[in-house]
Amino acid sequence: MSALKRFLDKILLLDLFAGLAITGRHLFRRKVTIQYPEERLEPADRFRGMFRLDAERCIKCTLCARDCPIDIIYIDWHQETNPETGKKEKVLDRFDIDIQRCMFCGLCEEACPTEPKSIWLTTKTYELASYDRWRNLYVTMEQLESWRVRPKYTDEEVA
Amino acid sequence: MSGAGPAGEALFGLREMELNFGPQHPATHGVMRLKLKVDGERIVDCYPIIGYLHRGTEKLFELHPFFQNVPHTDRLDYVAAATNNLAYVGAVEKLVGLEVPPRARYIRVILAELQRISSHLVWLATHAIDIGAMTPFFYCFREREVILDLFEQYCGARLTLNCMRPGGQPYDLPQGWVDRCGEFVADFPAKVAEYEGLLTENRIWKRRTVGVGVLPPETAIAYGVTGPMLRGSGVAWDLRKAMPYEAYGEVEFDVPVYANGDTYDRYLVRMEEMRQSARIVRQCLERLPGGPIMAKRPRVLKAAAEAEVYHAVEGPKGELGFYIVGDGGPNPYRCHVRPTSFMNLQALPEMARGALISDLVALIGTVDIVLGEIDR
Amino acid sequence: MSWSWLDWLREAVGQPQFTLLFAPAAKFLVAIFAIFLLIAYLVFAERRLLGFLQVRLGPNRVGPWGLLQPIADILKLLVKEDTIPNRAVRWAYLLAPCLVVAPALVIFSVVPFGPSPTAPGAPRWYVTDLNAALVFVVALASLGIYGIILGGWASNNKFSLLGGLRSAAQMVSYEVPQGLALVGPLMLAGSLSLVGIVEGQARLGLWFAVPQIVAFFVYFVAGVAETNRNPFDLPEAESELVAGFHTEYSGVRFALFFLGEYANMIVISAIAVTVFLGGWLRPFPSVEALAFLDLVPGVAWFFLKVFAFLFLFIWFRGTFPRFRFDQLMDLGWKWLIPLSLANVLVTGLVVVLVDRGP
Repeated sequence: MSALKRFLDKILLLDLFAGLAITGRHLFRRKVTIQYPEERLEPADRFRGMFRLDAERCIKCTLCARDCPIDIIYIDWHQETNPETGKKEKVLDRFDIDIQRCMFCGLCEEACPTEPKSIWLTTKTYELASYDRWRNLYVTMEQLESWRVRPKYTDEEVA
Repeated sequence: MSGAGPAGEALFGLREMELNFGPQHPATHGVMRLKLKVDGERIVDCYPIIGYLHRGTEKLFELHPFFQNVPHTDRLDYVAAATNNLAYVGAVEKLVGLEVPPRARYIRVILAELQRISSHLVWLATHAIDIGAMTPFFYCFREREVILDLFEQYCGARLTLNCMRPGGQPYDLPQGWVDRCGEFVADFPAKVAEYEGLLTENRIWKRRTVGVGVLPPETAIAYGVTGPMLRGSGVAWDLRKAMPYEAYGEVEFDVPVYANGDTYDRYLVRMEEMRQSARIVRQCLERLPGGPIMAKRPRVLKAAAEAEVYHAVEGPKGELGFYIVGDGGPNPYRCHVRPTSFMNLQALPEMARGALISDLVALIGTVDIVLGEIDR
Repeated sequence: MSWSWLDWLREAVGQPQFTLLFAPAAKFLVAIFAIFLLIAYLVFAERRLLGFLQVRLGPNRVGPWGLLQPIADILKLLVKEDTIPNRAVRWAYLLAPCLVVAPALVIFSVVPFGPSPTAPGAPRWYVTDLNAALVFVVALASLGIYGIILGGWASNNKFSLLGGLRSAAQMVSYEVPQGLALVGPLMLAGSLSLVGIVEGQARLGLWFAVPQIVAFFVYFVAGVAETNRNPFDLPEAESELVAGFHTEYSGVRFALFFLGEYANMIVISAIAVTVFLGGWLRPFPSVEALAFLDLVPGVAWFFLKVFAFLFLFIWFRGTFPRFRFDQLMDLGWKWLIPLSLANVLVTGLVVVLVDRGP
């Protein structure tokens, strides 16, 4: 019986028809294509994209620069007496990130000791294409602060 | 296609042709170059030339503190970043002596098994398209996309995850993740059945893979081949079972073993492994313990002077090991990777000799190489 | 300005010689133009259908639903640089693509797209009704492969050479079963003319695919192999030989190879439809109850069947893996040739017995 079945299998090409049936079924399935410029995927809340900096929260500890595995965060600061309070404060001169080498590992965000973080990557931005990597991908403090704000995920959302 | 034997050479001046297969060739899965000696279509000799993707990762490890090296490991086997992370942080934890909390261990197993599925999906996709079946490629990538979305929701990256830290996990699972992941692993076996419907019984697929590139168990062991390639040769060796790490001792799964050692058996092993991985993930999601996700650890990890450790995990492609030597400082003194693909690739010339060029393409697929890992 | 040339033209058109000389040429040109357009849209249809089979959309950006995509592709291919490798054999390299296209197009001159005119003045749906059309078709179909071999050899590229070699092997093993498969219907119809064969099916009241199921199968498999389509696309084998024989070709010459492949697909389908599926005849041509189907013109039936075939080609491409070189030969020599020979034998016996019968 099994010999007969094997013989029938051999001449009836059932295996090939099974394959055709599978692809044929998919002909009528819903397609998974996302038509990019018109439809865009919303990145996940934790998606590590473009940086954003809050210079007021930043305590100029430079831990982020030190924890960066490829050393692309450049921070300069100086001390200044605040005329209102009379206290000495650190003031940022420069907070630049050379995005073209960045691998978006998020270690800088993790190193940041302030609460909430002063530097974060969860801006849900992935459209960083540029015509000039030397200029456009070197991001200064002003650019980091003015980047489109997207909500950062909060700890309550974490299950 | 004969005539290139001694007689043919004497009579007609025929000789074997040298053929450069790669480094720019769609079937070499990256930038590997194979120097082939072919007699017509039959391969007389095969000599892999590697190093086109060398980035000095092992040297980079020495220049950075332990925790900064995790993103570098992502870039070794870039289709299985979580597994690289797992092997590396495991080695560092052993070296420094950190106890990982149970919840973190379960999360790690979930991530590693999802990564195994996605790595096998990439393998199946490319293997099938190399052999000429175009459609499984898209079906596989459809499912892989779901896994990448899960990764994105967990750690914010899709490919280069950087999702583990020495001592535990950097993030807890986000809300709803467990349900979404559970949904995926519940659906997944049906998808595997779909791929299998296209390939497993297909007579063309069988003719292209059965008996092609037979690797006897002795040869496989002699070459240091591990993973599905070894299990396809009938050797039941899986580090998850043999030396359980993380939470693997606490979950049930089978290690598929097939005895013929040909391309078809290796294909069957990997297909079954995908199902088993889904099973492991399902169990882990059910038993996920609560508690902390990060061990108590100093901010700067330091290894003891002259401490050395080797830690290996069962990656999607086989044994992936990290050998780290400490010198008392915050950086590894030396870090060596035991790259799976590199070891497995060594068996390729052995399998390719006497095969046809079409077989070679199937063989490169069945070895499942990732050049980022081979060249480091 | 003198308009005398117009008078001359008017006079010339009236001459019987003109019709004799130029009318077939004009018809042929129209047919070729239609076929070019058909091919361009066949490529488009293939890409879209493959996309649908693979749960994606395919090209849908150029024009509404991507309908202008083939035009864009043609323009792109036309303006691209026509590169010739440094040490290529120039004349052969330049000749090869034309050798692939020309025979495929010439075959269309004998394909009957529709019935012969029943009333005077009605359109005749074929360029010419050659009395040895079947031989003509088989002869020309085998010519096309020389282009592939020549192109592979002349490119001075090892991958192309291997592609050409594979193609040579494929030609040798699949020409024979393809030719033999056509012998069965030929014997049943008692005619070598394609129009005659269709009329033979009308006489029999049955498509030849029914009594000649084996020949039909063999012809179809051999046809897929002849056109280098999946699962027999070894000569190009993108993942093995990096497009094989046309690795080095670019621009117009690449387009010609492409054209040749798709023209061949249409030819194989058209011949299969003519010989086995009753050409312009409606389904079940002898069943009177289905006479209302005759309202659909024969040409429409013909093209409907051809498109069904083309869809099969595309479906196969979306489903099957590729054969290996030696397995292809194996299939050709050990299965298809014996099968078609047996079919010829049995058909011959039956024809002889029925003819001698009471």
